Amino acid sequence: MDGTYRPGPAGRGLAWATALYLVLPILIVVPVALTDQRFLSLPKDGLSLQHFRTVLASPEWLGSIWQSFTIAVAATVLSVVAGTLCAIGCWRISRRATELIRVLMLLPLIIPSIVYAIGLYRYFGALDLLDRFMGVVIAHGVTGIPYVVITVSTALAAFDPRLEQAARGMGASLTQTLRWVILPRIAPGIFSGAIFAFIHSWDELVMVLFIASRDVFTLPRRIWDGINENLDPAMAAVAVLLILFTLLLLLADRALRRRTEGG
Amino acid sequence: MSDARGHALGLKGLTKRYGEFTAVEDVSLEVGQGEFLTLLGPSGSGKTTILMAVAGFVAPSAGAILLDGRDITPLPPEKRNFGMVFQGYALFPHMTVAENIAFPLRVRGLSRADRDAKVRAALDLVQLATFAERLPRQLSGGQQQRVALARALVFDPALLLLDEPLSALDKKLRAELQEELKALHRRVGRTFVNVTHDQEEALSLSDRIAILNHGRLVQQGAPGLLYERPRTRFVADFLGKSNFLEGTVVEAAAGGFALDSGVSVRLPDGAAPPPAGSRSLLSLRPEKVALLAEGEAADNVAEGRILSWSYLGAGFALRVATERLGEIRASLPSWQAAIAPAEGLPVRLGWSAEAAVPVEEDAA
Repeated sequence: MDGTYRPGPAGRGLAWATALYLVLPILIVVPVALTDQRFLSLPKDGLSLQHFRTVLASPEWLGSIWQSFTIAVAATVLSVVAGTLCAIGCWRISRRATELIRVLMLLPLIIPSIVYAIGLYRYFGALDLLDRFMGVVIAHGVTGIPYVVITVSTALAAFDPRLEQAARGMGASLTQTLRWVILPRIAPGIFSGAIFAFIHSWDELVMVLFIASRDVFTLPRRIWDGINENLDPAMAAVAVLLILFTLLLLLADRALRRRTEGG
Repeated sequence: MSDARGHALGLKGLTKRYGEFTAVEDVSLEVGQGEFLTLLGPSGSGKTTILMAVAGFVAPSAGAILLDGRDITPLPPEKRNFGMVFQGYALFPHMTVAENIAFPLRVRGLSRADRDAKVRAALDLVQLATFAERLPRQLSGGQQQRVALARALVFDPALLLLDEPLSALDKKLRAELQEELKALHRRVGRTFVNVTHDQEEALSLSDRIAILNHGRLVQQGAPGLLYERPRTRFVADFLGKSNFLEGTVVEAAAGGFALDSGVSVRLPDGAAPPPAGSRSLLSLRPEKVALLAEGEAADNVAEGRILSWSYLGAGFALRVATERLGEIRASLPSWQAAIAPAEGLPVRLGWSAEAAVPVEEDAA
């Protein structure tokens, strides 16, 4: 890093404060999850894993984890297919109108999810999708599209259009070019988008509160109910598991990027 | 690489307009079987647009592209079966050298065994057999260029199109690969169409050069012919260096003419001299101007003083201010230089009557 300015004490302090501000609220659940008390609190006399045991032995918690997982997987597939096709389409046609479509695709990120949820609630009633696995998958899948559109568009911006010309010049059809040249080049972008779409569905609460009630009971929903009804430290244990899982996904994303960029 | 002979390419009145701008205007050309043709011109002359139209990536606004007399203008690029080496090569970065070369074969559904055999032959052709498993980014620029050539030739294309194939390389490597490319052309016996702005490359590689300017074909012919008998001021100036001498024709006869400035010109057999009284423009190559010794005679003599000079190793380049003809550039081989050049030194320049060639002023 020779030749760059060194940070002053003020800048350094501000950077650390920001980092702590981001991380501390997340870290506080770790000691809470390990509490030896029977209510949401910091440990008093010692650490205990009893709340993790409770969660992993409870059919309700495990059921919700499984349900959240399957919904997230299905929603991710939906987001990835729709988002990738949209990004490739916009990139190939590349007109003013496609810019508009790309912005339109980002709407789910811009509009407050509670507004979105109210809209879904009105339509899903008529379509008999309320409290259905499919309903939540569609809601999460559609709102996950922006993540995929963003990451795939970024990957495509770095794609050399001459590679497509070269493939065509050598006789490749559109399908062959897509499968052998374009998709392998943008695969890291697709994977990143998939991971973000998965996380989006995995911890989404607001829409689920509106469009699901009994049959579909996702993990964030159970945490929410748990906090409203009783202050069971099992929630903190679940939160820790959630954090670990998400962290694992982000690390996978990083590792993937490093492998495709370097090497 | 089979021993199939090359195919003939024809352009008929090819025109490409982008809105108000005309990139290529009414270009007609014939490229013979197995010929190496270079489209030469400055940037913006339309040479790349012509190549892209031949490849099928640019749809002409008017005119036709013919392959062995058959109109292929409406065919998309993937149906034309032309090999192409792109500027910057456009190798697939996620595929190894062997996979890159196998790509056009895979597209055509060849079996793995056939593919492997052809890839090996292509790698041998460009002397890269030991690099099959490398990725493009692990190769030098020259090696990447050879992979691009192998990939463009492996599927027995009807034509090989080259878009500034050597421009990304440094000077020494460029000279080496020029020779390789020439040898490769002789070996495979196919029709090559090359695009470049580098006149040296065009002169050394091509059987024939087509010179373009502002989207129009200015002159075409064998490199030697274009160099020795440029038709216009642009051609004389772009292909090599040239002095330009202007004057009014005072005497005209069958074999030559003379200008009012005293310059005499001998014409090749059959060339008609310009009428007396007309304006004439002459191109005179600097290497055809000699430095005369005391008392030495020549068809044309101009006296002057050295304005500036530079030493180029193999030779000297002089700028001489003459009394009658203005500034004249001369390049002399070092071993022949009778003097040590110095600014202000009086010199006598001389050249034969065949040296100067009448050229046309460029159309505006």
